[in-house]
Amino acid sequence: MLELAIGIILGSCALGAGMAMIAGIGPGIGEGNAVAKACEAIGRQPESKGPVTTTMLMGCAIAETTGLYALVIAILLIFLAPNLLVNILLNAIG
Amino acid sequence: MRKTDATVRRETGYIALCVLVGSVLLQAVFCLLGRWHYSVLLGNLLGGTAAVGNFLLMGLTVQKAVSQEEKQAAQTMRLSQSLRTLGLGLILILGVTLPFFSTWTTVIPLFFPRIAVMLRPKFDKKTTTEQSGGDT
Repeated sequence: MLELAIGIILGSCALGAGMAMIAGIGPGIGEGNAVAKACEAIGRQPESKGPVTTTMLMGCAIAETTGLYALVIAILLIFLAPNLLVNILLNAIG
Repeated sequence: MRKTDATVRRETGYIALCVLVGSVLLQAVFCLLGRWHYSVLLGNLLGGTAAVGNFLLMGLTVQKAVSQEEKQAAQTMRLSQSLRTLGLGLILILGVTLPFFSTWTTVIPLFFPRIAVMLRPKFDKKTTTEQSGGDT
């Protein structure tokens, strides 16, 4: 029974980490679209290259954080959460 | 080798400065809580370097991408984002698993660039106000 409980904890952590990483897809697509539109804008007005690049860098940094949240959650779920949860389970059983 | 654009250098410098200030504050908090250990400093160095390096690499990719065709630029950016995320993942795994890196001080500095970007409009407003004050 204990092995089953530990197995469920490990499986849930792995599943949660995998689901968290779905959020990692978004920033790549968003950044790609932002850069494509910036290329279009610079092509239309080459003199605005500096301000467009600055704004885009800041926008990309913000978009990137969403993926970073997902990555951090996934890694904590894989490397920290199982030990913590198994210890809680073992303490509860006594 | 391609020369780094002045905009990328300026923004990376700003982010590096904010990460440095945030790291000093983080170390001070750990000192005040009485939980400072050399692993806190090492973790902070790892996380801070990763945060600034990630931003610099993103800036270099943007610099390269703006001189390309639209579709190619989008693909370059997506590829770069995937590779940078993988790199950050490896750094995070090192920070979490190795005992001489504190987990929290490795993770927290990665979010300092976001805070720096959020604070950016305030600095810009201040600079604009000072400039307009000087003009009149």
